[in-house]
Amino acid sequence: MNTTSTQFAHPEALVDADWLEKHLTDDGVRIVESNEDILLYDTGHIPGAVHIDWRTDLQDPVIRDYIAPDKFAELCSRNGITPDTTCIFYGDKANWWACYALWAFRLFGHEKVKILNGGRDKWKADGRPMTREVPKYPGTNYPVPNRRFDKEIRAFADEALAQSKAGKPLIDVRSPGEYKGEITHMPEYPQEGVLRGGHIPGAKSVPWKTATNEDSTFKSAGELAKIYLDGCGLKPGTDTVVYCRIGERSSHTWFVLTYLLGLENVRNYDGSWTEWGNKVAAPIERG
Amino acid sequence: MYPPKLEAIISLFESLPEVERRETLVSYADNAKKQEPRPGEVFILEDVRKDEECADTVGVYLQVDDQGKAHFRMTLGPEVQTLTRAMTAILCKGLDRRTPQEVLELPSDFVTRIVGAELVRVRSQTIYYVLTRIKGICKVYLDRQRMAEVA
Repeated sequence: MNTTSTQFAHPEALVDADWLEKHLTDDGVRIVESNEDILLYDTGHIPGAVHIDWRTDLQDPVIRDYIAPDKFAELCSRNGITPDTTCIFYGDKANWWACYALWAFRLFGHEKVKILNGGRDKWKADGRPMTREVPKYPGTNYPVPNRRFDKEIRAFADEALAQSKAGKPLIDVRSPGEYKGEITHMPEYPQEGVLRGGHIPGAKSVPWKTATNEDSTFKSAGELAKIYLDGCGLKPGTDTVVYCRIGERSSHTWFVLTYLLGLENVRNYDGSWTEWGNKVAAPIERG
Repeated sequence: MYPPKLEAIISLFESLPEVERRETLVSYADNAKKQEPRPGEVFILEDVRKDEECADTVGVYLQVDDQGKAHFRMTLGPEVQTLTRAMTAILCKGLDRRTPQEVLELPSDFVTRIVGAELVRVRSQTIYYVLTRIKGICKVYLDRQRMAEVA
């Protein structure tokens, strides 16, 4: 682990590239790549890494929801993952989808999860080994989780509304233009079908990128505390809801608040703006 | 219906099982760099810009030879997604030596036949972006031709 991560509330949730390169073949470790670029894994990945696609592997193919617990067990089993396996997630876009996949694993109660600090971009920029060889691991019998931890780490629209009405912390991690309602899509991205622009009343704007350095690594614990604790007034134990457009950027902030700052009761509203901005009569603030 | 080179590429992809389709797309993406302008090449039109639909800068370069046939070159920024890179190599090869008018009239329904339904999702709509840019530069060329004719 690097020296800065030791100041984090849960330093064990981060690994740096030096550590990972020395532990690529450790028993009990599974490296998991999850990207926005659908074919990026196919172009080369960290040796031994498996690919988990946020859409086809983690989401229900019909309903806007996550896979059922038995499908999660199948996903883990075919990737050689057991409940005792430490899954180290990494990916493109400064780990957006890696954090999303990690959060989804937590939804199903998988506890041994970590993020590769700096993600795929830094690993590649550092000239570390990449391969196109797709690994094969012996299948496991991952037990079907008996519940999903929606209540603990996930917020639904009615809960986000209650959060807003109660004046409890809501963090909007989208770009400032999206927050203000000037645009209804991310800069550089296509419109994803949102009818209204703005933010949930009472939400504070803290773009996800605020938490990262230029090389996609996370800022130090002190810097993060200044942003979220001093700047936003977040406190340990207070219910906090984070959201973006479809829940991936807010997974990044959820990871920062939960694992790096150690806040409890942080939930990711994964319906996010593509639900709220289309919802009839949902209150919206602009500016 | 499609230019013969493009038709051959479409047929190839449609014959491939999903795993090989992905491998072939990656192979085309690897070759996208070969579509960059080469030293000494001169172009009649150049269009280098970054649009909101794409994650990085994309440049399109058009040359039309004395037989009226179009030749395309393209440059892609490092953040451009793999599928977009693949479509760049496919289209530069598949549309080479067609007239700008033929390119402009090309329907876009072949894109999903190449990429396959599994890889088409909202955030990968940029698979259509390269075709849009190529058609765009052909339209500018044809508009200028018409203006020159009436001037």
